[in-house]
Amino acid sequence: MIPFEERFTAWVDGQLKGTDLESFEKELAGQPEVFAEKEAILRLGTFLREHPTAPPLGNADLFNHQLMQRIEAEIPRAKQPISRPVFFWPLRWMALAGGLSLAVAFGLYETVVPPVSEVPGKSNYFAQVVEAWPSDPSISATTVYDSDQNMTVVWLDGLDYVPAAYAQK
Amino acid sequence: MPRCLQFLILSLAFLSAAYAGDPAGTVTVESNLARKQEPRQQDRIWSGVILATNPSTPPKPIPPELREYEARLKHMFGYSQFEIVGSSTEVIDEENGRWLVPSQRYSLNIKARRAVSKEARGGYLLNLELFQEKRLLVVMLAKVAPGSPLFFRGPECGKGQIIIVLQVLH
Repeated sequence: MIPFEERFTAWVDGQLKGTDLESFEKELAGQPEVFAEKEAILRLGTFLREHPTAPPLGNADLFNHQLMQRIEAEIPRAKQPISRPVFFWPLRWMALAGGLSLAVAFGLYETVVPPVSEVPGKSNYFAQVVEAWPSDPSISATTVYDSDQNMTVVWLDGLDYVPAAYAQK
Repeated sequence: MPRCLQFLILSLAFLSAAYAGDPAGTVTVESNLARKQEPRQQDRIWSGVILATNPSTPPKPIPPELREYEARLKHMFGYSQFEIVGSSTEVIDEENGRWLVPSQRYSLNIKARRAVSKEARGGYLLNLELFQEKRLLVVMLAKVAPGSPLFFRGPECGKGQIIIVLQVLH
């Protein structure tokens, strides 16, 4: 025995033929609302076939945005990924930058900071004669640097004797 | 201060400066001009004429200007007494030369400019002319660090020796 719903669906779709159709319509003879429902279904089907495409979206971006917000709101919070603290540089890069900074600092230190005398008792004495030109061939100028005494002396020879009284002036 | 400690302090200072990225440390045309207009520290140059002798009496105490070099002077020149006969101090002028007249007999014409070498430690490259009265004795180019006197062994004087000393004062 075929259920009533199946026979009704077949009847609306026009698939009931012959004796099945006659016997089903006899069953429905006293129920005019069933015929009215069939008419309504057929009208709806005709309407849907005549308007097969969806209406164009007025603002697709807003629609997508609202849709995504709704989807995100429906995702359980427990399933969201745990946010991790973000560093500006990875540790390896920071170590590399620190090493480079130390290298540059060492270079600056070696070139800019004057070395401290490490010999105890020696001062930072520095006096150097680059060149000396005596004005007269009879005069000689010899530079003497005594490393033990850490002292530079220009030895001028060939100068005129100075009387003792002159120094008292 | 040990060198390693100095290096550590300098490294830390460099790292903190690099991290902070202080714009005040940047060199601009304006900062250079401002620095040029600032009054620069006035270095001076001192010259003295010394009479070195071996007196028969106990020697006079050495002048305070030469006290640091007493032992070296005695060793280098072989005299026991050192007297400053005359001295002169002038502010160093890198644009114009300076005359130093420590005594009537000796004078020096000095043109100085800042030495860039590390060992000069902020000293000067001196282009100097040493005169005995009006006679030019020697022209010389010398690098002198502050506090490092340059000595000239001059002529004999009586039973002693004339020594001329030149020193940059920072």
